[in-house]
Amino acid sequence: MLELSNMKVIDVKNLKKTYLVHQKEPGLFGTFKSLIRRKYQKVKAVDGISFEITQGELIGFIGSNGAGKTTTLKCLSGLLYPTSGEISVLGFKPWERKHQFLKQIAFIMGQKNQLWWDLPPMDTFLLNKEIYEISDATFKKTLNGLIDLLEVKDILKIQVKKLSLGQRMKCELIANLLHSPKVLFLDEPTIGLDVVMQKKLREFISHYNQRYYSTIILTSHYMKDVERLCRRVIVINHGKIIFDGKLADLVKKYAPYKLIRATLTNNVDREEIENLAEVKTFEYPKVIFKVPSQNVNEIITKITNKLSVEDLNIEDTEIEEVIGKVFGLPKQ
Amino acid sequence: MKKYLLVAKNTWDETVTYRLNFVMWRVRVVLQLLTMYFLWLAVLPPNTTVGPYNQSLILTYILGTSLISSLVLSSRSYGVGDEINQGNLSNFLIRPINYFLYQFARDLGDKAMNIVFSAVELTILFLILRPPLFIQENPTYLILGICSAAIAMIMYFFINFLLGLIGFWSPEVWAPRFIFITVLTFFAGGLFPLDILPKNLFLIFKFLPFTYLLYFPLKIYLGQLAIPEVLQGLFISLVWAILLYLAMKTVWELGLKIYTAQGR
Repeated sequence: MLELSNMKVIDVKNLKKTYLVHQKEPGLFGTFKSLIRRKYQKVKAVDGISFEITQGELIGFIGSNGAGKTTTLKCLSGLLYPTSGEISVLGFKPWERKHQFLKQIAFIMGQKNQLWWDLPPMDTFLLNKEIYEISDATFKKTLNGLIDLLEVKDILKIQVKKLSLGQRMKCELIANLLHSPKVLFLDEPTIGLDVVMQKKLREFISHYNQRYYSTIILTSHYMKDVERLCRRVIVINHGKIIFDGKLADLVKKYAPYKLIRATLTNNVDREEIENLAEVKTFEYPKVIFKVPSQNVNEIITKITNKLSVEDLNIEDTEIEEVIGKVFGLPKQ
Repeated sequence: MKKYLLVAKNTWDETVTYRLNFVMWRVRVVLQLLTMYFLWLAVLPPNTTVGPYNQSLILTYILGTSLISSLVLSSRSYGVGDEINQGNLSNFLIRPINYFLYQFARDLGDKAMNIVFSAVELTILFLILRPPLFIQENPTYLILGICSAAIAMIMYFFINFLLGLIGFWSPEVWAPRFIFITVLTFFAGGLFPLDILPKNLFLIFKFLPFTYLLYFPLKIYLGQLAIPEVLQGLFISLVWAILLYLAMKTVWELGLKIYTAQGR
């Protein structure tokens, strides 16, 4: 079991992916011009990244739009072949798309669906049962498990087009998980969902990861997704990995300060507070200080000495702010 | 294999959900058929002939094309073009499924629905119009006719799939297909039997794949070809089917290279 848990599932070495993008000037003239002579521009979507992932890890890929997250996922799942570099997933070269490989992975794209639009979700499930060659008993067991976890029992016989976005996403998940994939790629799974639904989906992903010990790679714009789910994050910017490690370390590295929230009992001048530490916001009776991590204790003592405080809280910096800072970095 | 059966079944179910759409389409087909029928009825009074056709044979030909085209000329494999452009093809590439067979299974589901409808329509028309139809009683001709129709069906699937593959290179999939199919219906003998055309012209047609889509299977049914002629035609159409398959496969692989290089 120990050996299993250390098994390398994904191994990427110096992966590069360059697109040739056809450029066209606007307007009719541009159209004719592009028919005769096409201008191409090379775009480096992924520029020499390397990482390893072991079984059971739940990893968050973060990066701004166009950073190269989806391109990386597509390379890993075999939808794109790499310009250079090596990729091994479950011991396969993904771009060969061998059925043995495809049977062990799933790629869920939040913006694309594989459910049959005009039919109830159950029809897609049954078809996937045959596509992935799942036995009757396993199918029944897995399906029932997923239905319970996602609470979708009563919508299985309703046409997909009549389902809400959240319900559809749940069914999409079920359709992709029936074959119990060992590696699961989730590209923006919570996109367009409301807060409650997002939370439910997050809980589900976390639960699924623990229960089936499957390896999950997730990309998301919602930092909450990453914060709640992933212990390890890989940050991509301009096609390069700029951070790979624990989320807590990312915060330490890019935002080495904490927030102290205090509720005051007496009103005081802003100036007086600002003498103590950097003030982020002040709206009597609430003050938020932004203080360097190593000075937290010292400053708390100062605050409690100088001000009469009813309540005091220490918080980490909001992850959004950290990420904002990371992406604000200039191109390397 | 069961997965492809289910794909066919799902396609059938899908068509049922668009009942009205489907019925309207069938109404159009029937109107077209009636137009052709009455035109020929007027052009060719009883006891006159055009080429080797008397009234009964030509009417059988016209009603027969309607039935066979619902079997042969009813492929949706061009839909691959939309799937490419919308990037939905990715959904199939990451699943252990053969995309050709998947599309073919969808076609079969679709054709099953078409056949049921045109059989019903033709029966009704037959009962109302009571046309003097020619009934082929020789089982050899019947079997050979069915073989020819089966090859035609596969050929047409390849042709349509090829047209859909334009999607790898251009977003304009619909227009080239529309033009091509219109021309094709003429060359396939969908409007009149091809052998009433000048001999030299018809000789060229004989070596094109289109002739074997509608005209040839019907000609066999009508029993107007000698067995060696039938076998020769079957051979030519088989060669075309193989060539089209190879073309489809080559173009598909070329396109897929672009698709997996660029991504959608």
